Amino acid sequence: MATIDTSRFAAAAMPNEQRLGVASTRVLLVLGLLVLWEVYARLFGRAGMVAPPTDVIGALGPTVFGDPKVRSAVLLTFVELGVAFLMSVALGIALGLLVGIGEIGRRGLFPIVLFLYAIPQVVLLPLVVLIFGLGPAGKIAFGVSHGVFPIIVNTIAGMRNVSPLLVRGAESMGASRLQVIRYVVFPHMVATVFAGLRLAMTMTLLGVLLAELFVSTGGIGYFTQVYAETFNPAPLFALIATLALMAVAINELVRRVELRFTRWKQ
Amino acid sequence: MTVDMRNGAAQPTQAVAIAIDRVSQRFPGRSGTNPMLALDDVSLEIRRGEFVCLIGPSGCGKSTLLNIVGGLIAPSAGSVRIGRNTVNGARPREIAFVFQESTLFPWYTVLENFRIALKFQGVEGGGWRDRAMAALRAVGMENFAEHYPSQLSVGMKQRINLARGLCVETDIILMDEPFAALDEQTRMVLGEDLSVLLARTGRTIVFVTHSLAEAVFLAGRIVVMTARPGRVKAIIDVPAPHPRSPDFMLAPQFSTIRNDLFALLRDEIRQTVAAMREARDGARP
Repeated sequence: MATIDTSRFAAAAMPNEQRLGVASTRVLLVLGLLVLWEVYARLFGRAGMVAPPTDVIGALGPTVFGDPKVRSAVLLTFVELGVAFLMSVALGIALGLLVGIGEIGRRGLFPIVLFLYAIPQVVLLPLVVLIFGLGPAGKIAFGVSHGVFPIIVNTIAGMRNVSPLLVRGAESMGASRLQVIRYVVFPHMVATVFAGLRLAMTMTLLGVLLAELFVSTGGIGYFTQVYAETFNPAPLFALIATLALMAVAINELVRRVELRFTRWKQ
Repeated sequence: MTVDMRNGAAQPTQAVAIAIDRVSQRFPGRSGTNPMLALDDVSLEIRRGEFVCLIGPSGCGKSTLLNIVGGLIAPSAGSVRIGRNTVNGARPREIAFVFQESTLFPWYTVLENFRIALKFQGVEGGGWRDRAMAALRAVGMENFAEHYPSQLSVGMKQRINLARGLCVETDIILMDEPFAALDEQTRMVLGEDLSVLLARTGRTIVFVTHSLAEAVFLAGRIVVMTARPGRVKAIIDVPAPHPRSPDFMLAPQFSTIRNDLFALLRDEIRQTVAAMREARDGARP
């Protein structure tokens, strides 16, 4: 499983000048795009389709967070996302360990996991709704079904390629099988599992939103659909921005936790 | 210097620490090939406090023999006794391993690595820190206790690996080419350190190496093994007390033994190379 070590791209490891350069490049690019967007929207955009950034920011206050219905929808999505993610983590790691811990289990079951992972899950949405209903349960279930697979796959991948030398070393020192798992296998798999967790975060959000968009009558997804269908792009983009911030915040939280577990790599 | 051919019996002066009794090891071949005989009827007695080097061409089963002695591999035939007990699994209380590459866990600091090693061994509770620090001081690494292995050079890591082997206070230390990954100079310094440490602690050591000079410098007895299947070809005594200074390498005795060793090994190495050429052309066992 290919995992990208994003910490290498983080600004923290660079000298100050370079860090400044990176930061200013990033800010300039984003500002430039926003200005382009603003100019385009003001001059050529059709009012029902594109809103200039200034309008979007304006909509953030009164339309989105001023409306209690929208406010509770954002909160609802956030809660659903949190619950779905936590369930994905618990279920994914448990199943991953179960499948990956033994050679026979891994060889026998891993292809089945990969097969299930490959199914485009949108096709299962009607079924999920039939089973779990239109409410939060259905959305959480669909979020979990998206989030659980990257975690299972990365947990299994994380258990492979444990250095046989370290295992032999531990055994020569008298480590039991459980001790080998606790002190050698678990620390070895942390980085890979966290890569899975971050991927799962995005996937869970996707699952929850898909359910909201297509079938539900609550949450952010529902309101994005309403705004789009009523040609009201400013609050639509405002909602999307809120969503993006939510995703970034949770991703950052996961990254912080990861840093605590991988101090030895820095 | 005495060369007693194919006779591994110890002199009765010291208690036998390790008795290897007619050990053979057969590894299953890949499908369609015959099983590979790695060790053939090896017998050897190692006295307490002795430093024995195993030397032989690549693939002669030196490491396999070491793993059998340490209980990490069960032999196909024969047995190994440690004191009065027959080996049938790892014996962490009596035997420590030092491998060619550092087996320090990269996710623990040096000090934590010592704690884990003692925990694996079954030593719990206080006192571990003092033992760890004492072992680190013995190899001059006490200032690196809070470092992670990735922050250390290969030589430093191997030093600590060695210290960990000493820290667990086993009577026997099995070393599988512990200095092979090091450069010549680091290797010489570590060899000297080991010689000094040994003179102080009186552990029994079995040391696998490819290096003739290393074997002569460190060993009390050198066991020369044949090309695969590994047998004991000869045993050479190196009658010089530990600690040995680098001057020992310049002594005439040193080169005489080294040359004898080279003569004994030359044929075996040729044979190994021939076997490898043959294997390259097809059915490798």
